[in-house]
Amino acid sequence: MKLSSRQLFFFLAAVAPVGKLVLMPSQLAALSKNDLLFPAALNLLLQAGAVFCALLFARRGQTLYACLRERCGTVFAKIAVCVFALFLWLAAFVPLLEQKLLVQNIFYDTLPSYIAFAPMFVFSAYLCAKPLEACGRTWDILAPMAAIGLLGILLLAVGKADYGALLPVGAAGAGGFARGALGVADRFFDGALVLAMAGRFEYRRGMAWKGLLCYLAGGAAVLFFLATFYGLFGEIAVFQVFGFTRISKYFSGVTVLGRIDFLFIFALAFAMVFYTVLPLQAGVTLAREALAPRNPLFAPALACAVNAAALIGVLAVNFMMTRVMQVFSGPLVWVFPVFSLAVPALSLLPRRRRHAP
Amino acid sequence: MRLKRFFRTLPAKLWILLAAAVVFAFFSNDFGLVDIQKTAVILAVGLDKTATGYALSAEVAVPKGSDRTTGGTSSVLIEGEGETVAACVSELYEKTGWVPKLIFCDLIVLGEETARQNVFDCLDYFLRSEYFSDSCLLAVCEGRAADLLATTSEIDDTSSLAIEKLFSDASEKSGAVMKTTLREFARSYYGVSASGYMPYVRAEQGADGSGARTEQGGQNGGQDTASADGKTIYDAAQTALFQEGVMTALLSERETFAFSLLNGNVYAGTLTVDGMTLSVLKNRGSVTLVPGEAPVARMKIDIKVRLQNRSESASANDVALGRLTAEDEARIGEALAERVGDLWRICQNTGCDLFLLRQALYRTALSAYDRSASDLLAVVRPDIRVDVMGVW
Repeated sequence: MKLSSRQLFFFLAAVAPVGKLVLMPSQLAALSKNDLLFPAALNLLLQAGAVFCALLFARRGQTLYACLRERCGTVFAKIAVCVFALFLWLAAFVPLLEQKLLVQNIFYDTLPSYIAFAPMFVFSAYLCAKPLEACGRTWDILAPMAAIGLLGILLLAVGKADYGALLPVGAAGAGGFARGALGVADRFFDGALVLAMAGRFEYRRGMAWKGLLCYLAGGAAVLFFLATFYGLFGEIAVFQVFGFTRISKYFSGVTVLGRIDFLFIFALAFAMVFYTVLPLQAGVTLAREALAPRNPLFAPALACAVNAAALIGVLAVNFMMTRVMQVFSGPLVWVFPVFSLAVPALSLLPRRRRHAP
Repeated sequence: MRLKRFFRTLPAKLWILLAAAVVFAFFSNDFGLVDIQKTAVILAVGLDKTATGYALSAEVAVPKGSDRTTGGTSSVLIEGEGETVAACVSELYEKTGWVPKLIFCDLIVLGEETARQNVFDCLDYFLRSEYFSDSCLLAVCEGRAADLLATTSEIDDTSSLAIEKLFSDASEKSGAVMKTTLREFARSYYGVSASGYMPYVRAEQGADGSGARTEQGGQNGGQDTASADGKTIYDAAQTALFQEGVMTALLSERETFAFSLLNGNVYAGTLTVDGMTLSVLKNRGSVTLVPGEAPVARMKIDIKVRLQNRSESASANDVALGRLTAEDEARIGEALAERVGDLWRICQNTGCDLFLLRQALYRTALSAYDRSASDLLAVVRPDIRVDVMGVW
């Protein structure tokens, strides 16, 4: 069973934005200060372009592997798809670390044992064992949850936000803009995710434009979130990590009703778990298709191996989170534009014409 | 074959494993949560400067029978000392064996001596802590914070809860108190204006005694045993001004009320002018900076007031209508403008950018900010306008 266009639009509009709400807002505030909207907007626009390219590619009805095999041969296609899968697993690493920190810091009131996050990887292995097409129903449920969650926390927060804090425009200068754009580029890989889904949904007329608009709508919500976040915290936004859990608690009704905002926060956190696992799942699906398409045991085995590696990786860098993020936004930052922007753009290269003998 | 069967049923096995892990985590140690009986739920902290660092007095909630106003919560005052606030918190743990839990702490009281130095020397701990809410209220007190928290209140078993009542929304709307939270104060400190304010709390003797609890500090401050010698009431009508984290001035009640009016906070508050007490029905206030060669701080207050009381007998018609004449309105306007003028002079003399004029300049005219931010308060001219409308 393939994904439906509705499910894909739900993903682009409501699920994809949630991955940008954890550490990215405070990181952007540190790098670009009050100009944090511009680097985020640039990354979102570039990803919107990549999503558009990936959807246009999907018009051919082929998966990435099938297309590469047809153009470049089986061996190249296998290698290229495996490298692409490796990229997706790499891209999942920082979001996984973010989730771990989020759970430890927000859902516990004292520091829990660092192994407390380990069951997440069992859940992740289960999801990864399923093909990417199985995500459709999940997105049907997650999209309204994420939308209500984001809308809820924003509604509770807007009244207290001082949007004047975003002024003066351009105070961070070109350097601040560039640092911000590069520093958070590792959170933007939705173009690559959609490319991995190509061939797993029926392309319908106008889907590329509709998908683009859905992604831009989700991006606009992220930008509004960032504006509200900075409006609430201003100069202290730098150390307000896990921004989406913080902005809604200043609503005056919270003192009377209690932390009702946690309903929205939990809804968003729930959607985030699935979004965090998605690159791992997409990587497993691609690798299965390339390496052992007919072996039903391959995907569960690979899912376990990938998640075991991720668990070991997360435990290994338990006390080095800042350094890991510096590596991803420093030496490794070029990887993300290559795979999430250039590869979707290159996928639109015209097919090789077959000459008649 | 067996391997095949194993992998085919792997997803189901993973689910079972996940469920088992969650159940194990729950029954082994409640997901790693600290047992409530091993935690000290801190309701408020007081911070005082000592010769070697800080003394932190923590008011810890203790459940007890519901014989008084708090509905079953009393408190114990525990004191820890150390070079840093974190060291003080660690000492609380060492002294009691309870894990100090600050997530429910709603009030930080700074002693007067502490406020005379940069308060972020000690508030730094609370900004860094992930397990502390930055919507916590801040106040500075007369004398030592430990002494204030050690007093026994007339109105509540727990002194911090009694003090927090002063900072209710209703109090704020009355214009009598200007409250602030850690987030707001930190924002203004780290902003370009680097100025802020906190309510200034004073303990006053109640009707029947001295007001101070007998055992101060230490780790043994049960309130029931301490309350025999008297009760205290608290007052927070004054406001402490801060510049770069250091307390620089104290606003009187009149100036605090003027500041509230400029913030547009006041609804149902009262003010007394020339023997007339008026209740404020509506208030709008603003301070805007008009940049230029001679920058102007435009301070505007619009209030609608109703006569509530006169200090002398009046005619039956006056009692019936409570009408304010144009002269009355002008006199009230002048009185308020005078208060705002006093407030402005205090800010100017102490360099406290209470109205965030530097921030306004930074946001609207960056080049002008670069030129004149440092001496802005000295050169800016106040333009005070008060419009009073009597409602009858």
